[in-house]
Amino acid sequence: MAIKFKALSYVYNKDMPYAHKALDDISLEITEGVITAIIGETGSGKSTLVEHLNALLLPTSGSLEILDYELVADKKIRFLKPLRKDVGLVFQFSEYQLFEETILKDVAFGPLNFGYSQEEATQRAKDALKLLNIPEELYNSSPLEISGGQKRRVAIAGIIACDPKIIVLDEPTAGLDPKGAKQLIELFVDMNRTLHKTVILVTHDNEMVYNYADETVLLHQGKVAYHGLTLKLFNDKNMIKEYDLLEPQIVTFRNQLKEKGFKLSDEARTLEKLAEEIKRQIK
Amino acid sequence: MSLIEVKNVSYAYNENSVAIDDVSFDLEEGTYTTIIGHNGSGKSTLAKMMAGLLEIQKGTITINGLQVNVDNINKIRQDLGIVFQNPDNQFIGSTVRDDIAFGLENKLVASEEMEAIIGEYVAKVGLSDYLDYEPQNLSGGQKQRVAIAGIMAMKPKIIIFDEATSMLDPKGKKEIKQLMSQLSDNHITVISITHDIEEVLQSDECIVLNKGKLFMKDKPEKVFADAEKLRKINLDIPFAMQVKEVFRNHKIKLKANDLKGMADELWQLNSKR
Repeated sequence: MAIKFKALSYVYNKDMPYAHKALDDISLEITEGVITAIIGETGSGKSTLVEHLNALLLPTSGSLEILDYELVADKKIRFLKPLRKDVGLVFQFSEYQLFEETILKDVAFGPLNFGYSQEEATQRAKDALKLLNIPEELYNSSPLEISGGQKRRVAIAGIIACDPKIIVLDEPTAGLDPKGAKQLIELFVDMNRTLHKTVILVTHDNEMVYNYADETVLLHQGKVAYHGLTLKLFNDKNMIKEYDLLEPQIVTFRNQLKEKGFKLSDEARTLEKLAEEIKRQIK
Repeated sequence: MSLIEVKNVSYAYNENSVAIDDVSFDLEEGTYTTIIGHNGSGKSTLAKMMAGLLEIQKGTITINGLQVNVDNINKIRQDLGIVFQNPDNQFIGSTVRDDIAFGLENKLVASEEMEAIIGEYVAKVGLSDYLDYEPQNLSGGQKQRVAIAGIMAMKPKIIIFDEATSMLDPKGKKEIKQLMSQLSDNHITVISITHDIEEVLQSDECIVLNKGKLFMKDKPEKVFADAEKLRKINLDIPFAMQVKEVFRNHKIKLKANDLKGMADELWQLNSKR
């Protein structure tokens, strides 16, 4: 089993005058069981890349191996449903996709669709809602009547309830308040650590990437500019400069401390860890 | 008289949920105000009422001496522009030039004057070389800048930004934040609804909403003085202040407010050892 892009290209409006190559000969193996962030400027191909993972888009050329499935250019696929159960994709602003009469029905829709019995589907929906901190008294309310942050969590519960092996999230925390954003990302970390889900995160928030993502894929103009450990990327001054990356603030601060003369490792992701390292040198 | 006066304003979408609960404050001309608050705190509801996009149920909002209501709204909107969250939902023209011209046409500006006005405002947002670009060939930050140029060309006194940077990449965010500061330097009253705690530092004043109520209205450094108070209502403090806090917990008191200054202080402590 793997998540392997093999010389994959994707062209929007192929054979039209305004054809646009969004992914250009991508070869990439995303590590299973870890949290991988996909970063890059607007238009670098991030969303196009992840929309291949559950066959919303099919390669124009090349192929993608994912779990036990393979997507090949110009080849019809017969495993759409099982693939989409195994790979849960949460879109940007997923709260706009809620549609059922009640929150519980909305979340149970996925599992029902993938063949769980009514009873099982309802139970799965309840478990997922609980995981996402949606209070029980809201289960029978309309999903359109709750706050934006709650809607986002209900939409994510809909994916979690299908018990996917791979969870793909496109900008899951955009527009959430600081606490809501932190709770959500820590939920995915928890699902990764305890349930061993592969988590793939598309985001512009480099602070979040640095704090939580084990590995990072940097896309630039439809090509992979970097794939490897997150800490290594953001502690590489040349990469930061070459790709005009916004440096996580803790890295900026650590570099200033190093310039002063402190001897610090690049391992600390949190201020607490960094402060401990410094304190050991001061006292 | 202040440019914007909000008096005892309340709003409820339905009987069980009060979105804005008896909120009052004044905003002075030329100030840059950020509005922060947890999801569902009422930020956007408040902004929509100021812009006349939601009818005020209780209380009054007065802008430039005129009460916001159906009779006055067209007059008020001549002084007020709003930039929304999604850059793709506010591009009307087929090119940058057309998009800015749209507002001017509505204002019945003579066509021979238009080119000069358009030129002036695309220059202000740094897009002079992009006049004939179509929206699909612009980045999110660039589209937001076109929207801002179009609004600036209307010469408003007030511009409201409703989470205008939340869908942008880091570069786009930076561009728009710089532009907001510039607008404020040019005496335009800027009101920015945001989840970006770092942005608050560049504003003159910050309004904090909690469950529809006014929780605080003060200078950023005052607002961020009590981290726990903010965390209780789902907010947080900027990075530099978190650094101070973490070291304070380790019994190291830092005086500086910027990262470089704090690095200096820590190194001095290290040298004194």
